Amino acid sequence: MSAWIEFGRGPLFRLAFCLMVLGLLRIVLLTVVGIVEAYRRNSDRIVPWKAVARQTLGWLVPAGRLWRARPVYSTTSLVFHVGLLAVPFFLAAHVLLWRGATGFAWPGMPQPLADWLTLLTIAAALGLFCGRAFHRGARALSRLQDYVWPALLAAVFAAGYICSHAGLGAKAYQQFMLVHIYLADLILVMIPFTKIAHCVLAPLSQAVTAVAWKFVPGAGDRVAATLGYANSPVWVAQARSGAAPPAPAPKAAAKELVAK
Amino acid sequence: MNRVYKLKLILWTVVGLAAAVGAARFILGLGATTNLSDVTPWGIWIGFDVMSGVALAAGGFIMTATVYIFRLEKFHAIVRPAVLTAFLGYVAVAVGLLFDLGLPWNIWHMIVFWNPHSPLFEVGWCVMLYLTVLTLEFFPVPAEDFSALARIRRFLLKFRLPLVIAGIGLSTLHQSSLGSLFLIMPYRLHPLWYSPILPLLFLISAIALGMMMVTLESHTTAWLYRRKPETEALASLGGAARWVLLLYLAMRFGDLAVRGQLGYLFAPGLHTAMFWLEISAMAIVPAILFSLVRVRRTRGGQWAAAALGVFGVVWNRIDVGGLAHLRQGAQFYLPAWTEVAISAGVVAAATLAFLFFVERFRVWEQRPADPDADPLKLPEFDKVGMTWLGVPVVAARTVYSLGFVFAAALGVALIAPQPASSRGVDPQSSHRARGGPILWIDGNLNGFGVAFPHEKIEQKFGGDASCVYCHHMNFPRDRASGCYECHRDMYLVSDAFRHDWHASPEGAHLACTQCHPAGQPRAAAGAKACTACHKDMIPKGTTIQVKNYRTVGYVQAMHELCIGCHKSIAKREAKPDFARCATCHKEDRAVTDAGGPAFQPPAVRGILLPPVPR
Repeated sequence: MSAWIEFGRGPLFRLAFCLMVLGLLRIVLLTVVGIVEAYRRNSDRIVPWKAVARQTLGWLVPAGRLWRARPVYSTTSLVFHVGLLAVPFFLAAHVLLWRGATGFAWPGMPQPLADWLTLLTIAAALGLFCGRAFHRGARALSRLQDYVWPALLAAVFAAGYICSHAGLGAKAYQQFMLVHIYLADLILVMIPFTKIAHCVLAPLSQAVTAVAWKFVPGAGDRVAATLGYANSPVWVAQARSGAAPPAPAPKAAAKELVAK
Repeated sequence: MNRVYKLKLILWTVVGLAAAVGAARFILGLGATTNLSDVTPWGIWIGFDVMSGVALAAGGFIMTATVYIFRLEKFHAIVRPAVLTAFLGYVAVAVGLLFDLGLPWNIWHMIVFWNPHSPLFEVGWCVMLYLTVLTLEFFPVPAEDFSALARIRRFLLKFRLPLVIAGIGLSTLHQSSLGSLFLIMPYRLHPLWYSPILPLLFLISAIALGMMMVTLESHTTAWLYRRKPETEALASLGGAARWVLLLYLAMRFGDLAVRGQLGYLFAPGLHTAMFWLEISAMAIVPAILFSLVRVRRTRGGQWAAAALGVFGVVWNRIDVGGLAHLRQGAQFYLPAWTEVAISAGVVAAATLAFLFFVERFRVWEQRPADPDADPLKLPEFDKVGMTWLGVPVVAARTVYSLGFVFAAALGVALIAPQPASSRGVDPQSSHRARGGPILWIDGNLNGFGVAFPHEKIEQKFGGDASCVYCHHMNFPRDRASGCYECHRDMYLVSDAFRHDWHASPEGAHLACTQCHPAGQPRAAAGAKACTACHKDMIPKGTTIQVKNYRTVGYVQAMHELCIGCHKSIAKREAKPDFARCATCHKEDRAVTDAGGPAFQPPAVRGILLPPVPR
């Protein structure tokens, strides 16, 4: 058993970690190249870079925006992300492993803080899983990996928590450690090839949309005006009440706008 | 999925593996990533990357000479690819050499600090100058596509003839000098390979190889891009190569006859087999194939003869560069997989560069058409994921980069992390002292030891009470545990505390929390001391205080234990000889101890040390 543990934290971890780092680098590079190519191919090169930057930075901390619409979900998600990033990077035991392997180390977080964060993260992961599974709209939008990820992360955190706390005998400790290590390796490998790639692609997503779909500022209003729905919150009205959309404005106005 | 696409995927994968190994070579050092040693400092990187690379690039100077000096215009179509091959070959040589040099950042030294007595100095200068010449010779080809470079291009074309002449001079100089390198080692190189005319043999074989390499390259790319090879011109090239190969054969066997070494041709053994395989592949079979006119004029015949010849000459260079060296010391050199990976990666990168140049610029009369670039072609689905990866260019780079990433990660996983600098000492476990009243202290069982009058000293210092003067730590419930139990290696530091045993189900089966306090990271620093459980581990009144459980090597422990007392006694009783080495190291039990383990001469990193004179 200890040989399997050593293999999991030795060669297998190196493989998984390198696949994650290089894989993430690869998709960033491919995306950037894709953006540049799409931009060059466009005949219309007006891109609202400032609006893109504002959108990107705004969504990096979604608290302010999501707070109003879905406060419980956004808070859970925020807690989940904080725990997910802070615990693996700053757990003192992990830092010690890095120091042993590479000689580099950074300050670890105090153990009580790590304990509470771990429990919060597990709770948040289960909450997110349930929120997805028991909401009809969310279920319709979900793929297999959307269910697998919260469950997988909760399992890894739980196994790690048990290893560091319960007064397990040597055998039980090794079993839980084996689960912890191999699941963690699996997670590292899966990161660049599943939706977790958003950890590096999120800053680029707005730019991709802007270049590929050419949403210049005010484009939505102009589309609405062209269709004859100027100044009418058509989507909101439809979504909330299910009522029929208001009658389009006279064609003449639309023609005038297009001529402009 | 066309041929070019498949080949490029393989090449990118190989480059990915080599990238990881190359990074490891520069981070961990040569000792950790190669099988090279002080006994065999030159291996496959010299034999394959450098010596074969230079020889394979000989086609450049041969074809430029044929077309621009001798004005044989029918070979004109082959000049540009030949020069490109030579240029990339020399770049590969330079890159491969950087991996092999211990201090690659000192490569500029040969420009400033001259050593005109060294063949390597001449090789270095020639390679450097010829690489410059090749760059200038090839530059006009890519420059065709950029109007901004037109003036430079016209300027360079004016100097084509002087450049070609310089290239021929430099090439002939260092192709032969690579052979001169081995003139210095007549007793190291096997007699079938060592020869005073080694430089000449290298030059002649390089000329033949240059022609065969051009043939091989033309046919391989023709197959790859489904284009028509220059079979007719290559047939006359093969005819010429035949004469060079026959000349080489005559010189090689004539040289063996003159030196009186023909007997080795039939001496059974690995070297003889290697020689025959090598000479058949590089000269005998290609010479026969090129002599048969009907074979020489077919694509298959040309390809087979050229491929065999290229393989043979590369093998010849690897043999001379390391494999055919007589065994020295205890080691036999075989390249490590990491060395092979880097060599393959350099070749793969050069091939990718070649494909880039022929696709992007007018190296051939007609640029090859990519079958996937047809705008009317229907989209093809990825075989694995059944998704459409986009237009061919996007699909290609998506898949190539995936291959690169997977291979690089695999490379990192396979390379065991090792200390960046070698400690220079192999692990060598220590063994218990044997005997009764007089102990024979010989930790590595090599027959050279010290006879220690244990009983006499024990009585002199007060019987049982004197144990604690030396024995400072015991196994649980043991008394006066042997030195070798904790000082487990002769020279290296070892750990007296066995964590794996305490924490394993088969051993002590302890829970972590029985030693490590809760709420703290589990490190050695915060853990319980051994004596908290093992109360009798440190004997009462011991003179040597144990500070931690890292134990010094056996040799150091023995010396520190004895010499301290001996020195003070020597001073107190005015007996200066009492603290000298020979007072204790005077007995050699290798002969009398015939029933014991066989005599093992001491070895440091595999190199045998000379035995101590008796």
